[in-house]
Amino acid sequence: MRKPNPDTPFDSPTPPRERGLLGTLANSAWPILLGIALAAALHYFWPLGPGWLYYKKVVLDVGIAIILAVSLNIVNGMTGQFSLGHAAFLAIGGYTSGIVTYYGSILLWKSTDLHGGVLGPGAWLFVFACLLGALVATAAGYVVGLPSLRLRGDYLAIVTLGFGEILRVVLQQTNPILSPDQLDSSSLKNWLPPPVGGAVGFNGLPTYTTLFWVYVFVALMLVVAFRLKRSSLGRAMISVREDEFAAQAMGVHVARVKVMAFMIAAFFAGLAGGLFAHESGLILRPLDAGFLRSLDYVIMTVLGGRGSISGVVLAATLLTVLPEYLRDFDQYRLIVYSLLLIGMMLLRPQGLFGIHEIWDWRPRWFTRKPQTRSPSNEKRGAA
Amino acid sequence: MADFAQTLMTTLAVGSLYALIALGYTMVYGILKFINFAHSDIVVLGAWISFTLTRWLFPAVGLDAHNPDSPAPPLWLGASILIAAVVACSLIGFVIERFAYRPLRKAPRLNVLITAIGVSLLLQNLGQLSFMFGPSPQKMPALLSNVELWRLSLPSSGGARNVVIGLVDVMIVGTSAVLMIALEFLVFRTKIGTAMRAVSYDLEASALMGIPVDRIISYTFMLGSALAAAAGFLYALKYPGLNQPAHTTWVLLGLKAFVAAVIGGIGNVRGAVLGGFVIAAVEQFGAYYLSSSYRDVYVFALLIAILLVRPSGLLGSTVREKV
Amino acid sequence: MTNVSTANRTAPNQASPTLLAVEGIGIRFGGLKAVDGFSINLPRRGLYGLIGPNGAGKTTVFNLLTGVYQTQAGRIFLDSRNLVGLKAHQVVAAGIARTFQNIRLFPGLNVLDNVQLAGQLHAREGLASTLLRTRRYAHEESEIRRKAFELLGLFGLQERCLEPATSLSYGHQRHLEIVRALAANPKVLLLDEPAAGLNSQEKLELAKSIRHIRDTFDLAILLIEHDMGLVMDICEQITVLDHGEVIAHGTPHEIQNDPKVIAAYLGADAATV
Repeated sequence: MRKPNPDTPFDSPTPPRERGLLGTLANSAWPILLGIALAAALHYFWPLGPGWLYYKKVVLDVGIAIILAVSLNIVNGMTGQFSLGHAAFLAIGGYTSGIVTYYGSILLWKSTDLHGGVLGPGAWLFVFACLLGALVATAAGYVVGLPSLRLRGDYLAIVTLGFGEILRVVLQQTNPILSPDQLDSSSLKNWLPPPVGGAVGFNGLPTYTTLFWVYVFVALMLVVAFRLKRSSLGRAMISVREDEFAAQAMGVHVARVKVMAFMIAAFFAGLAGGLFAHESGLILRPLDAGFLRSLDYVIMTVLGGRGSISGVVLAATLLTVLPEYLRDFDQYRLIVYSLLLIGMMLLRPQGLFGIHEIWDWRPRWFTRKPQTRSPSNEKRGAA
Repeated sequence: MADFAQTLMTTLAVGSLYALIALGYTMVYGILKFINFAHSDIVVLGAWISFTLTRWLFPAVGLDAHNPDSPAPPLWLGASILIAAVVACSLIGFVIERFAYRPLRKAPRLNVLITAIGVSLLLQNLGQLSFMFGPSPQKMPALLSNVELWRLSLPSSGGARNVVIGLVDVMIVGTSAVLMIALEFLVFRTKIGTAMRAVSYDLEASALMGIPVDRIISYTFMLGSALAAAAGFLYALKYPGLNQPAHTTWVLLGLKAFVAAVIGGIGNVRGAVLGGFVIAAVEQFGAYYLSSSYRDVYVFALLIAILLVRPSGLLGSTVREKV
Repeated sequence: MTNVSTANRTAPNQASPTLLAVEGIGIRFGGLKAVDGFSINLPRRGLYGLIGPNGAGKTTVFNLLTGVYQTQAGRIFLDSRNLVGLKAHQVVAAGIARTFQNIRLFPGLNVLDNVQLAGQLHAREGLASTLLRTRRYAHEESEIRRKAFELLGLFGLQERCLEPATSLSYGHQRHLEIVRALAANPKVLLLDEPAAGLNSQEKLELAKSIRHIRDTFDLAILLIEHDMGLVMDICEQITVLDHGEVIAHGTPHEIQNDPKVIAAYLGADAATV
């Protein structure tokens, strides 16, 4: 890693060498390859035994929470739009992928049992389902992003909140799930609205969510978030957050940037929804589209800091792990959350880490130079 | 025709509840320019305080809520419970403003919004603790027997049908009307009202003109909370099955009232009342003539449509942002 | 549509010395005429001034020219391209960049990033190459960075390029505003009170810098300024605005002796004295 050097803040401008497709891939793909390797290591070296099974669930939950909080942070933290409807994208992704794996499994294998391990045929169906869910969520993100062009601050918050609540109500009105036997004799009436369980929730989904897939997607999320932050688009997002009007005057297409932020965030929330839906011990319910679940992720981004990716990762981890230890105090959990929110706003409104990453922070006596990172070593974060 | 009349009656009753709550949103927004997310929780507190008082006072005056033959409670009992709830909620409103919002007077609006969400969560979950109101729904004893006042026979598709107008609905509409007229008088005819309008027009200039801004803001919060408490009390009369404080029905009730304020033109007192009735009409008629499962959807669809077409609401005036 | 095509035909052609041709633009807010019938012809490499008492509508003219407000009348041509109807970000891309009277830097971005933000205006790489970090994308980014860094040299801001923009001194923040506008690679630069809050020494240096920028970047500059010394010193032509209308236009010497201008600044009585 090169030390920050104020005299040459840029990579020496060499003309692009033709490295061919493989070379480019190798250059750009290493963090994600590293992520896959780490995810695989986590998956295969995870100890067996009943106690570890419990920790595994916590670690899975942490991974999913990280994806949701970091993706929300792209909208709320980096772009400065205030969305209270992030859980709606989770639900859209979850329900879409659930339909694919549940009914797809029945069509392919006549049952909803697991088929194959981490890279077995069932897992590929699952990954396809998650990606499809993410794409549907992205489309929804586009629709939800549109009001952000006309509405600011609290109005946008209310519209996004309303979107989540509408979705919750609509999901409650869906048809009961069809079992494999019922599938053959089903008519259009069973399919409209889709048979995803109504108020009961979408249960009986194959439990394909494993440490491997969760952390592959976490790696993908982090790579995207860090690359976005240090890119033209990321700068444009930050400028929209800080001063929309000045951003426009500097040639930033504000509308495009906002909608883009919503779409990227929705994509990853949809992906996380797929993971959430297929995690064992969890049932995807209409309530998961609603305001209270969205609030969980809002709190993580507020706590972590507006735009600090590492801060939000830390906050997501803490706020997922701590309640596990405070199970007995479950009725106090939301009280603690609310006091956290109020206290943060009164005492440290920029969040734990503000706009900085954790590694930007050093005690003031540590060095006299201001500790901002050189633009040339941004890749460090991606790994 | 009969169906229409019945739905209209419900619309009036529900609409006046929405209007009462919407007034609180609109007054706070008018002055401090943020959505007081905790406002709906004041409604909840109003309803649950009314419930708690009723449960205490019923035995004290020799009534039994579980005995259907027990005589109807006297009118003064209901009135004093209403006043007690109003006073309690005004004080809570004062405390919230003083300790959560006032320190943030100069902070970005988003921070205030997040604080308001925090206060809302706090109130909900404090209320749900077992030594407060508890985590389960309760049945509100009838403070007012729903006497049949009028019975109209109106033609309907299946022959003539009776439309019954009960005391509870009339009481709700009547009480709300009195409160709204009182507020109208207060805002437009008194010194405090003039000060409120001045602060809402320009907070800093008002301060320079010698208006005690902090005190006016406190009054506004107390006034809004008082109306919310009244709405909570009336809501408990109309729908005695009270959900626990953190239940989503309360959040939705608050949201719809906020939507009413936005539709009427946020910051506009008369607009909030109009918006309350518009929302109630959309919800009730939509529920009756289309499908009742999607009643919340109609309201939010209307909100999104209004915000996109006329963001300043029906009676609001457009404000040009200074750049 | 027919309006636009006639407008295009009568537009000044490429060969004319006029770069920015503005004809009769105006806007009303409610009943108030904020700007009415404003016209100006800014030649290539011209350095023009726009002055007027407070509230005369000078900044509103800038907002009209940059597409923040849509003009309700008249025409705006830049190099014979019609700018009426373009959104603010499209106007910057067309070649008009501006600074702000009340400094509007992005506090969350460092000095270099503030400049890069404007410099990335013509960047062509999309989301996919951003996320994949393609070779072409990296090259484009480092080009933007290099140009931004070079521009910072104009005011000696290079060694502070990694500090938060708002940690700069007031004078440096004003400089950074100019650098940021330049990074958008404009043909016309609009400066809104660039000397406000500067001391007399700094003002002298600023005057020099503005001329230098005009010459090196081959720009036309229109500036709003309250400091008459500076305006009279560097501007070739001056337009005076009062109550939203142009009351005078001419060389500094003509403006200084125009009774209408004196009246506008000192009140109606002064002119007759």
